Amino acid sequence: MELIINREVAGSTVVIHFKGILDISTVHLIDPYLDDMENVEIVLFNFNRLEFIDSTGMGLIINTIYLSQEKNFQLKLEGINEEIGEMFETVGLFQILEVIQKEITDVPR
Amino acid sequence: MFHDNLTYHFNSSEEDKKILDKSLQREINMARNIQIQLLNGKTPKFEGGEVKGSSLPARLIGGDYYDFYPLIDGNIRIVIGDVMGKGIPAAMLMILTRGAFRSASESTQSPGETLTAINQAIYEDLRTLKSFVTLFCADWSPSTGTLTYANAGHNIPIFINGKTLEVKELPKVKGVMVGGLPNQRYKEVSVRLEENDSVFFYTDGIIEAQNKCGEQYKLERLVLTLLESKDYNVGDIEKCVMSSITRFTEGAPQKDDITMVLLKIRERKADISSLNSPVLG
Repeated sequence: MELIINREVAGSTVVIHFKGILDISTVHLIDPYLDDMENVEIVLFNFNRLEFIDSTGMGLIINTIYLSQEKNFQLKLEGINEEIGEMFETVGLFQILEVIQKEITDVPR
Repeated sequence: MFHDNLTYHFNSSEEDKKILDKSLQREINMARNIQIQLLNGKTPKFEGGEVKGSSLPARLIGGDYYDFYPLIDGNIRIVIGDVMGKGIPAAMLMILTRGAFRSASESTQSPGETLTAINQAIYEDLRTLKSFVTLFCADWSPSTGTLTYANAGHNIPIFINGKTLEVKELPKVKGVMVGGLPNQRYKEVSVRLEENDSVFFYTDGIIEAQNKCGEQYKLERLVLTLLESKDYNVGDIEKCVMSSITRFTEGAPQKDDITMVLLKIRERKADISSLNSPVLG
């Protein structure tokens, strides 16, 4: 199973849908979708159809959290199932997201 | 300043490519040997129990890490971790982590403090390199029979009760992985271990090991294997787990490194004191 990525743009919101496996063998596929983040206010990662994620995949999300700080956009995660949610919880991903997003909202755009 | 642009560059002729390939292969093998020697360091010996670690990289070299550090008070500090990514880049960061762990263990009093010190030491480097490390750190006290631990984003080890044969995770303790956020403090939890109790520390490469059909080994199979081998010594338990994974995967190439550390408690003698420091053997 590979990774299929779909990108939808609605105004200043970009929705990225992940389907399949987000791991070391597929994580590079996201790069072109994150290249152009000018004038983007919200990026929404949708994991409804994500079947598996490994530490490299979680690294991508964490690096996108830091990219959101650099490019000043909001990152939202949705469609997280229980298993993946537990993995995010274990590494502290939600905590990092919360801290960085708070720093972004505290800074006037 | 490290001047990358002054490095000698090979031309693109076939002959030059062959020389470069051979040179790279030799360097990878040397890096692998360095990693094997560092990971296969001395295992501490102590009264009333035994500990052992092992690691199987998915590629030539890996990013998983385990280590032991005998403390001056007779306790043993155990660490297991997983660097994001695989292969040579992960191995380089694993060595960075090892240095930080050894240095932090020398100067800190508890596993939580050790994780805080490691995070402080390598946070900036990890952010620059866009990577992170999950680490679980525990102090085993042979004199009090207490295991005190802290967690930086790693999966919780499995506890095997030697009396009731109950197998479950150690009480949860959470913490952000190393390289995730600066200035982190890590909570600590302590549990008391009794005779024949075991603790199985591991990386996710074990439960995510895949067979040819893409099915994962999963926690359930690991728990069954640990129950089946509950009466063995740590070396034989490790062999049982490795054999079980090998049987399950049927030679399918693995994406992730497989690493485990086992701590098993034996009968404790009444005269154990803080003077009975562990020795590296």
